[in-house]
Amino acid sequence: MKIPPIAALEIGTSRTVVCVGEVRENGRMRITGVGNYPTTGVRKGQVIDLSQARVGVEAAAADAEKMSGVDVWQVLMTLSGGHIQSTINHGQIPIRASDRVVTHEDVEEVTAIANEMPMEVDRQVLHTIRQTYTLDDQPGIVTPQGMRCNMLSFNTLVVHGHKNRIENVVNVAKNARLDVTDVTFSGVCAAFAVLTPDQKKNGVVLVDFGAGTTNYVTYTNGVVSAIGSIAVGGDHITNDIALAFNIPLYRAEELKRTEGSSIIETSMTSRRIALPADVGFSERTISCKALHIVINARMEETLKILRSRLDEAGVLIHLGAGGVLTGGGAYLRKLSELAQRTLGIPCQIGLPMNVDGLEANFDQPAAYSTVAGLVIYGQKTYEDNGFLSPIRKLFGKVFNS
Amino acid sequence: MNDEHPSQLLLIGIGGGGARLAAAVHTLYKDAMRMVCIDTDAIANRELISNTIPCILIGAARLSGNGTGGDAVKGRLAIQDDLHLLHAHLQGVRTAIILTCLGAGTGSGVTPEVISALHDMGIATLCIATEPFGFEDESRTTTATRAKAMIEEHVDSFCIVNLDELFQSTSESLIHSAIDATNKILASGITLLWRLLTRPGFLSINAERLHAFILYGGTSSFGNATASGLKRTDALISSFRESKLLRSGDSIAKANAMLVGILAGADLRLTEIGDIMKTLRDWSKTEAQIEMGTVIDPAFDGRIEVVIFCFENSINAVVETKKNPSASNASTTTSIPPAEVFQIQPGSAKRSKSKSKLSPGATGKGKFQNVEPTIYNGQDLDIPTYLRKNIHLDR
Repeated sequence: MKIPPIAALEIGTSRTVVCVGEVRENGRMRITGVGNYPTTGVRKGQVIDLSQARVGVEAAAADAEKMSGVDVWQVLMTLSGGHIQSTINHGQIPIRASDRVVTHEDVEEVTAIANEMPMEVDRQVLHTIRQTYTLDDQPGIVTPQGMRCNMLSFNTLVVHGHKNRIENVVNVAKNARLDVTDVTFSGVCAAFAVLTPDQKKNGVVLVDFGAGTTNYVTYTNGVVSAIGSIAVGGDHITNDIALAFNIPLYRAEELKRTEGSSIIETSMTSRRIALPADVGFSERTISCKALHIVINARMEETLKILRSRLDEAGVLIHLGAGGVLTGGGAYLRKLSELAQRTLGIPCQIGLPMNVDGLEANFDQPAAYSTVAGLVIYGQKTYEDNGFLSPIRKLFGKVFNS
Repeated sequence: MNDEHPSQLLLIGIGGGGARLAAAVHTLYKDAMRMVCIDTDAIANRELISNTIPCILIGAARLSGNGTGGDAVKGRLAIQDDLHLLHAHLQGVRTAIILTCLGAGTGSGVTPEVISALHDMGIATLCIATEPFGFEDESRTTTATRAKAMIEEHVDSFCIVNLDELFQSTSESLIHSAIDATNKILASGITLLWRLLTRPGFLSINAERLHAFILYGGTSSFGNATASGLKRTDALISSFRESKLLRSGDSIAKANAMLVGILAGADLRLTEIGDIMKTLRDWSKTEAQIEMGTVIDPAFDGRIEVVIFCFENSINAVVETKKNPSASNASTTTSIPPAEVFQIQPGSAKRSKSKSKLSPGATGKGKFQNVEPTIYNGQDLDIPTYLRKNIHLDR
């Protein structure tokens, strides 16, 4: 089966990316075109101006077309935002057979119960992710059929978001004359591109540091065990710096990238950073230590929130493979050290290794993890279904992690 | 050249109290002077405009012109919304005198923000702030104390006037007369600065020296005295020894720098100037720098008025000492550089703080101002973490 080129769209808070991927003979996805344009009209992952956001989509799609030579008219979309939540839905049935052997019908029945999740009218299910079965008090069963028990339980992780906000993001692409075939949560996509099967099996948390949000996905025993989004990202660091030193945002962003550090570096405490004169302010210097304090305060707080979320979900103690940090924000200096210290697990930067064609062309490939993962997700969907389904059918889709 | 100097000096009255003081200055100083008032109260604002004092109404979208109701946070937010309105009045300004009354919402909330903004523009600031009366509600004292800490973050010279002491220094018993008298005392000190620049006598102070004094001033105080008759210089000196504003002369004794203005008519004698200055020099520290100017005005015929600004330099460290640490080790006091070697430095190039203080931008959300807040455990995560956790930044 030949899979056609797959286009993925990410309307991020700081930039809009369109990525075109094509499956090669070896079965690996290769990125053949990337369009990248600064986003306006989006704050913390949510659209606040449709027309401004559309401009970025049109420009990025045009660039991706030019680079790949593929006509981009149909895209997969990824989204994030503080409104994205996940809920564990529990299904349980008694095994009625006298021999207490689980049948295929039992499995189907308990799965159907777990998939049925009552939603508030303004919420929209994005994913229903299957987890493992529990036979009586024995968890972690992947294939229960044929095994004996009195009670069969099954959990699904339902990822859902605010209906209108999801539709607003989709409408941006539609306004740019793109046909949206699927919408997925960005954290899930990044995991497709970055994580290895071993990491998923041993337990891992993938943290995607975006400009507007910090998304996370945890895997334990090979399945997705928790998903979430914190509406705090790199933009908050930039904003903190701008307010702390009374400088414009673009200057703060530059400072963050060139001089920023997640931990307060003792070797830098006495150093002062020169800021050349510009419209609105005169030449001055700022303390490097103060800059690091501002960034450290924000990053430590964000990581502590993440830690408490993981703790609440009961997954923190099951993360044997540690933490993998990805997204553009992961390049902030010493972030993995701070994450290791705060989360109490080994952490490393995660690159989109499950696709080809990014490392050679981009300085910071981790910034493209989400969109690269979305292309892989498209490939898997095509392989499973033989086509990319229309969005109306795929909302609320069930997939195995 | 001299014609340009006054325009570099701007008087800013903040809040109802600050605007009243500015109005008193306006009344006392007949000539045109650059001034602007900032208030959240539309009615008071209208009265000032009708009185030909330009006044900016801030926070109209937030407060609908009703004032802050004593809430300093509302005041701070109001000026954050409308700070750009002040920019039009700052063209060419190098030195700003800010008049404010601490304890209420606008004065306490707006003043730190305005001073911070002026500081970032390299404008030297002298803030003259009144504290609440002792008999007023404790919450006003608390608000004033917080505002003082925030003002100190960026102000160059800070003069705090205790209203209890100021009223004691007047002989008026009726409240209306006492308020008029105290306003006049404050206004006379402030108008001195303009008079020294615009109507200099034989000895003058130029705008650049004034800028330097204020830029390096630190903790400040001022007092004035008027006398007439044959032994008017003796009377002046004894008035300063009793002055509550000058802490019975203690401010003069401790000052590292002093600005002395002598206002008199054409009958001013050189020996009188010599007597006053010799007494002040003997009274003050030997290393204190004293700058003196005279104003000869026919309106002062037969009497002499002396206004003294004392600068104790304890808020800020001088750029020079930062550049040369060995010099700062050698001496704990800060000296104002001599006029001939003084180079213009924006107000930002200094600051040495010993303790943590809340930044004026404490409620600022910057680019997240108008987006749905991210609330976690009751905290708005869009507000910088260092502000919410009150982390001190030695910028």
